[in-house]
Amino acid sequence: MSAPVEKGLSPWQDAWHRLSRNKAAMLGLWFLVAIVLVCFIGPLMPFVKSPTVINLDNPGADPCAEHWFGTDQLGRDLFARVLYGGQVSLLVGIVATGVAVLIGLIYGSVSGYLGGKLDDLMMRIVDILFALPFLVLVILFSLVVDKPASEFTEWVIKTTGWSRDKVAPITTLMPLFIAIGSIGWLTIARIVRAQVMTFKHQEFVEAARSLGLGHGRILFRHILPNVIGPVIVYTTLAVPGIMLLESVLSFLGLGVRPPNSSWGILIKEGADRMETNTWLLLFPALFFSSTLLALNFLGDGLRDALDPRSSKD
Amino acid sequence: MTRRALFLLPALLCLAGCQRETQVEKANREGILIFGNSNEPKGLDPQVVTGVLESNILRALFEGLVSDHPSDDAAIVPGGAQTLEPDATATVWTARLRPNAKWSDGTPVTARDYAFSYERILTPEFGAKYAEMLYFLKGADRFNKGETKDFSTVGVEVIDDLTLRLTLRGPTPYFPQVLKHYTWNPVPRHVVLKHGTMTQKGNPWSKLGKIVSNGPYQLKSWRRNDHLEVERNPHYWGAADVTLNGVRFLPITNSYTEARMFRDGQLHTTYTAPPEIVDLMLKENPKVLRQEPYVGTLFIRCNTTRKPLDDARVRRALSLSFNQQEICDKILRGYKPAYGMTPPMAGYDTPHAVTFNPEEARRLMTEAGFPADAKGKRPDFPRLKYLLASRETAATTAQAIQAMWRKELGIEVEIENKEWTAYLAAMQELDYDLAGSGWIGDFLDPLTFLEMWSDGNGNNLTGWSNPKFEELLKQSHQEADPAKRYAILREAETIMTAEAPVLLTAWYARNYLLDPSVEGWYPLLLDNHPFDSIRLRTK
Repeated sequence: MSAPVEKGLSPWQDAWHRLSRNKAAMLGLWFLVAIVLVCFIGPLMPFVKSPTVINLDNPGADPCAEHWFGTDQLGRDLFARVLYGGQVSLLVGIVATGVAVLIGLIYGSVSGYLGGKLDDLMMRIVDILFALPFLVLVILFSLVVDKPASEFTEWVIKTTGWSRDKVAPITTLMPLFIAIGSIGWLTIARIVRAQVMTFKHQEFVEAARSLGLGHGRILFRHILPNVIGPVIVYTTLAVPGIMLLESVLSFLGLGVRPPNSSWGILIKEGADRMETNTWLLLFPALFFSSTLLALNFLGDGLRDALDPRSSKD
Repeated sequence: MTRRALFLLPALLCLAGCQRETQVEKANREGILIFGNSNEPKGLDPQVVTGVLESNILRALFEGLVSDHPSDDAAIVPGGAQTLEPDATATVWTARLRPNAKWSDGTPVTARDYAFSYERILTPEFGAKYAEMLYFLKGADRFNKGETKDFSTVGVEVIDDLTLRLTLRGPTPYFPQVLKHYTWNPVPRHVVLKHGTMTQKGNPWSKLGKIVSNGPYQLKSWRRNDHLEVERNPHYWGAADVTLNGVRFLPITNSYTEARMFRDGQLHTTYTAPPEIVDLMLKENPKVLRQEPYVGTLFIRCNTTRKPLDDARVRRALSLSFNQQEICDKILRGYKPAYGMTPPMAGYDTPHAVTFNPEEARRLMTEAGFPADAKGKRPDFPRLKYLLASRETAATTAQAIQAMWRKELGIEVEIENKEWTAYLAAMQELDYDLAGSGWIGDFLDPLTFLEMWSDGNGNNLTGWSNPKFEELLKQSHQEADPAKRYAILREAETIMTAEAPVLLTAWYARNYLLDPSVEGWYPLLLDNHPFDSIRLRTK
């Protein structure tokens, strides 16, 4: 009789194990799942009203049975606007951050690992991009990108045959993703580079090198998993900033177009009117801040869970 | 412990004491008016800037031949000129300047300064956006359009240091009204030439530390995006009668923030009051809320060089299918539905051009080749872009109009926000479909609302022109009799509004907040309040 072979746990299973025992992180995770479901599935429900239908006879109404969160300055249902706005904000938070992290991770690790003249050159490029005033760049960018973006929308409609109401809110966000993604990766690239440099002369890397592994394998298999922790922490902290940036950029004409909305825009509109109609600020802000809090809990838990140095039990 | 507490005590007392006096109370003691001015001025050169917010500052710094009256828009107050006399036909005007008028550096103001300024603004290379304001002068348009290089062909004549003779294109009995506009202000020739050439773009003479002015005030400090402050000009001829010591202009873009600052006692007056604040103040403190008529028109420019907006029927359909009354009552508060381009003005009967008539609008749309399908949508009608400058209340109105067009005509427009500079650039290059705009009268005459639509005018920006309209405007310039002149202008306006190069939205009202300590501030149609006669009550 042979004893059953004890299967080793992969690092990811191991991480999940640790994460699932962290109550706060799991709470954050389930809350995020719930928010995503509410924002993306919720609007399909028949009782959710249209977020764009105006009723000038009932502006600024208090919450009631018909309008759960009340109505805004044009008499639109705030509950529906918060849900639809959430779609945009979550999408921006995930996609734009994802783009930024991906670019930053690759750029920073290559720069840090290879070092020397190339490292100098790559970091000076980052310095130059950092020095450019962001908002001015964005305004210039919005002038240039306007036509291609609407042509892209037309193209998508023509090739897929989907209705414009479904396509346009997403495709008009493309310039926004590019704008945020193209600037947001700078800090991540610096963090990753610094991390990679501290690891690249440690014993386990030397060991991998002496085994004859290639650069790619050493970098992505042995060094990057160690770098993931700080990157995840930075990412969870960056998402709130990026979601807020979206509202600034939308105000400058890059991104969400009225009557569509996002949490950032709803909060901005609500903050303007907080003396007269508190609900307009309260509800979007509640959704926004609890999502960010959940993200932070989750990020904190992920950092602990993904740290290969944390004790294995 | 005890020592720290003792140290804290005076600090706390001071804090409590300081909090008791608001900024406004402190300013009242110092005799300084704190003025919410909406945005950072683009500059202080009277011949370059074009905005209302810049004009507020220029009114404190500069003085033209005539000045504004604190309570009567129509009254003429002698300014830089002691007397201003027309000839029998009101075509040639002779101004005798004050011998004691001085620039803030002590140099006398002479007729040469005025002539220099008029030549400067009219020189085509200088590219002044507001040069059309001086087309009242004989030959000014030819000189400004580069048809002649000889400034002596323009009706400006320096008789001697203190006498200026202006010859106009035709009889203009209301000319003193026009002269109140800041484009007619003199600039200091000696200072402009010291820092550059006459027509140099971006000549730095009007920067802090260099600028010299002839009005009741001179520039004291200017920190970008923080404040701009003016103080008494000791060389001003009427300095003894100036009651207010200075004005501090604050560039607060967000009107809700501005209202919040006012309620905290940080401002004497706000630039505007958004609808929610109007409602709130009516309940809370009605005596600080001012709702006054204002000569201005809110409209949407149409780019008439683009399809389908080149068709007057389409433009009219758009114009007839949104409910102005509802927008005024429920969003803009106090504004009036605009049935014509020119807002109500004494003696002028604005022709009725626009009413809410969705039935007629649908008919016009179908006639123009955009029939409705079974669901009431118009699938052939292209998706127009509706350009906006990023401002809060503009977006609210635009979304209401967008929804009304969807409901009444079955068409979709896309609202596009742009930052102010990008918005202006798009309009100047005719790179837009529809653009939310407004116009505030420069002087009390229908001409200020009509002349801008003439061909090639720097403020037209719609690509629209009409030879009959041009002809009538020209005719009005030669008409001396006010009643006949208004009849001609009325005909011109009828032609213009029938073709609807702009979709009229509303006539402005001025909603703003004013602190009760401000005295000598009266409702004015043009909203040009002279600062020098304002008093601040301290308790």
